[in-house]
Formats: sequence, structure tokens, C-alpha cells
Amino acid sequence: MLIFEPHIHMFSRITDDYEQLSLAGVRAVLEPAFWLGQNRTSVGTFIDYYETLIGWERHRAQQFGIHHFCTMGLNPREANNDSINRDVLAILPRYCEKDSCVGVGEIGLDDQTKTEEIMMSEQLELARNHNLPVLVHTPHRDKKKGFERCIAIVKEANFPMERVLLDHGNEETIKITRDLGCWSGFSIYPHTKMDPARMVSIVLEYGIERFVINSAADWGVSDPMMVPRTVVKLEQAGVPREKVEQLVWNNPIDFFAQSGRINQEMLAQPASANLRETFDGNSVLRGQDPDKM
Amino acid sequence: MVFAPMSTAELRDLLGSAAEQADEILATLRANRSHLPVAFPGLPRRFGKDAVGGGQRLFGEATVDLDAFRTCDLVAAYLVTSLEATEEEIVDVFAHGDIEERAMLFRCLNFMPLGNTTSRLLAEALRTNIVLHLEAAMCDSNLLARSIKTGTIDGDTGNRLLLKFAFLDMDLTRALKAETHANETLSTMLQDLATEREAAGRSVWKHTYLMLGHAVCPGALGRLIGGLEHGDDGVRHAAAQGLLAMRNNNQKLQPLLAQFAQERMPREPRDNVREMLQQLATN
Repeated sequence: MLIFEPHIHMFSRITDDYEQLSLAGVRAVLEPAFWLGQNRTSVGTFIDYYETLIGWERHRAQQFGIHHFCTMGLNPREANNDSINRDVLAILPRYCEKDSCVGVGEIGLDDQTKTEEIMMSEQLELARNHNLPVLVHTPHRDKKKGFERCIAIVKEANFPMERVLLDHGNEETIKITRDLGCWSGFSIYPHTKMDPARMVSIVLEYGIERFVINSAADWGVSDPMMVPRTVVKLEQAGVPREKVEQLVWNNPIDFFAQSGRINQEMLAQPASANLRETFDGNSVLRGQDPDKM
Repeated sequence: MVFAPMSTAELRDLLGSAAEQADEILATLRANRSHLPVAFPGLPRRFGKDAVGGGQRLFGEATVDLDAFRTCDLVAAYLVTSLEATEEEIVDVFAHGDIEERAMLFRCLNFMPLGNTTSRLLAEALRTNIVLHLEAAMCDSNLLARSIKTGTIDGDTGNRLLLKFAFLDMDLTRALKAETHANETLSTMLQDLATEREAAGRSVWKHTYLMLGHAVCPGALGRLIGGLEHGDDGVRHAAAQGLLAMRNNNQKLQPLLAQFAQERMPREPRDNVREMLQQLATN
């Protein structure tokens, strides 16, 4: 079964992860721009990070046959940093136009401050200007209130709900988002937040319409294989294969296809991999013979 | 930097139905040229990556093969030349560009005067092995040959760029007139790479034989004559080509080469190789 992993921070992962993902049927990954674990101190480090997402990381994924897409944005955590947030917003338009950028994100709320709300609103406008859907990070603390506030901001901006993916959902939030017309993302973790068994229950109760699941794997304790693992659990629970495929392949593509920069046709084949190619003189091979890989 | 006004008009003509949309973007950029980095990334998806077609065409000193240039490449060139984009503007788009933006900029170099922008971007080509970029920078035009000939890039840079063809097994015939810049230093580099590859049991870039024929280095004659006995048809063909080039550059070698050609000819199974051996065997 082909899988589109719609939220994974490969920047923080090693090549073994790419290989495992590829072997498990992951044909494409979506890497949202995010917080790197500590706050950045200048706009220059954002520029370099965004360029990694469209450059080296994309190259790395392709070496394993995986198509790499990204969303660009100022994450809510660093949105609070008034010494850089305006400068970051100013550079985002050029990155929102990159071919592999299929959305604006992660935007949203974390501490749920006024500044986060302003930055989220402005980035909804950015998405509108570039005709992109948005990937919204929702708070891990006081989640229900955070979800409601995110939805209110989207409504205030009159941003089309069908172009909004509210991520990191759970059993509680699904009751809030179900009838809004937006998309719901569920981040499956090994031990916290949402696990495969709970996700199975959600699918059995609510179905798969406008749902996507992801691993959100990053620099912390997380597992990039959570989507393939959940696929197995869903099938074991009797969810028909075509529904599982809809959930892990068609749904994420349908959502991000609203950017006009991605479609099923371009994902029909694995990303082409020429192991002799380097990016800025750099290779994933670290001196190994490409003919023996 | 002075742009030739004729080239922008010619470029526009080649855009056909895309010209109007390109003009709209150009108008936006004329009003605010700082928008160039925002406009540039979307060109491939707005104008497509299909080849323009039409074969080789002259633009001043430049020869470009439009069968390999894409519509987005020409739109990019039209915008950059119409705007008379500065070296710094172009280098900025390149430095922060994605894979397609960089490919388009390499193609744009063909329509701009040779100069610092050319040398800076070709220096970037040296740092990558992305085939799309190397093809955009060096293939389907005479940009590389012009850059070497005019001293826009120095001989060492030219040699290292040509060596990229061997390293990535690219078709040298796509770099128009490149063979005219064969030199002993490059031949030695190619010979060393070939020896290294053979030691590792890997194939040798077939154009090695032709380049060694154009510029002889120690060991070149032995490699070319040995190539006539290779089991691969393509290698024997390339070796015969190289020997012809070697003979044309040095008629004193004629008797020696004729001897080997005559000895090989009756055993050579391929007509195209035999024809070249026949040429070698006769004055």
C-alpha cells in the first residue's frame, strides 16, 4: 500500500529512517517548517532552514525514492519572538512560491498568546495570497480551548475551511471539527498523545472522511514508522483496505493538491534517485561506492 | 553589463502564446523588481517544462539547441534580459533558489553577455553533481566553449567542468564545440580517471577516447589502440574516432595507425567501426 506521510520532520531524522519508510511503502513525505527545539536568534537561520527544506532534505529523500514536499511558515512558538517574527514573515513569500512548497505551516497556537494569534492571522493572509492550504499546529496544553481559538481565527479571516488542516487532534477535538468542513490530522506517537489503538477506535467510530494520520516524527521521542504501524492495526481491526488507502494516500494528496503543485500522477513513480548526484557537493553516501548501494 | 536588445525581442517571439503571460509578470517586475525572487520559483509550473523545439539557433555569439530548452527556461531568460537583471540579483535568486530556479538561471546565461555572472554561476556548477544543473549549465549550447575561449572562466575551471562529463557519464556532444578545448592537462585527468575506473571494474566514459585523440597525453596512444580490441562496440567506435582525431592532428602517426587499422579491420564486426578503420588505413 502506498503511503503519503503528511507531517514528518525529516530534518531531525537519519537515513535509516528514510530507508525504512521507503521499504514500508512511503512514497512521499510532507515536512512542515517547525521549531527546532530551541529558539533561533536571527532571520538568517530561518532562511537556511527553509532552504534545507527545499534543497538538501529534498535531495536526501529522493535518494531513497521518496518525494519530498514541505510547508513554509513561522511556527507559533517562535512567533512570540518579537525580535525576529516580522523579519521572518517578510521573507516567507519567496519560499511560499517554491515548487515543493504545498502549503503554509506549521502555523497556529502553542502558548495561545495574542502575538501567536496575530502571526497566525497574517499567515492565513500569506496562504491566501499564494493560493495555498494551511497546516495548523494546535496546542498540546489546554488543547480544546486552543482548537476552538484556532477555528475562530480561521473564521475571522474568512479563510476557506476546506483548505485548513487542524493537526494533532484527538477524541475530544474531533467532536469540535467534525462538521466544520476542515480537515483533521492525528499525530500518532509511540507512548503519548495519540496511539494506533486509539486511532483505530476513531476510524471505526467516525470513518476516514477528511482525516489524515501522521507520525510528526521529530527530534524527540517519536517513531517515523507510526503511519505504517497504524495501517497494520487498522487492517487487523477489519477496516477495508480501500478505506485505509484513502486515509493514508488519497486524503493527504487531496488536501495538499489544493496548492495546485501536487497530484497523484506525479507520485505514480518513486522519486528518481541517481546516487552519483550530489547536492552542493554533498552526498548521502559518505564515500560509499554508488554502484554497490 | 549591456544586454543586446535584439535577443529579448527574439526570445519573446519564441514564447508564442506564453508571451502575454510573461509580459504580465514582466510588468509586475518593472513596477517592483524586488519581486523577482517571488516570481521566479513559479515559472516552471506556470509555463511548463516542455521543450520549446526548433533545433539549434543563433543568438549573437550563442548557439542554443531549442529542442532541449524548456518554455520556462526561455521565459526566465526573457524576464532576466528584459529587466537587465544585475549580477547581484541573479546570484541572489540562484543562492536562495530551488533546483528548478537554478536550472533556469544556468540556461539564462546563454542569453546574457559573458562576464562575472557567468563565471560565478559556472563555479557553482563545479560544486554540484546534479545532472539537471550540469546539463543546464553546459549542454545544448556553446556556453562552455565560449566561456573558455573568451577567458570568462580560466583553463583549470574549464577542465574541471569538462571532467564532470566523464564523472557523470554525460554526452559530450551536447556541449557544443567542447572538443575544441581538449588539452593535454585535461587528457591526463581523463586518463587518470579512466585508469581508476578500470581498476574498480567500472566502465570508462566513452568520450575519453575522442578527447585523448584531440590532445595527446602520455599513455593516450596505447589506450586508443587497445580500445580497438575492446569487446564493447561503443568503445571500439570511440577509440577509432579518437585515433582519427589523433591522426588528423599529427600526420606523422599515419603509418603506425594504418598498420593497426589494417590488422584489426578483417576482425571488426561492426560496419560503422570498419568504415573508420578504413579511413585510418588510407591517407
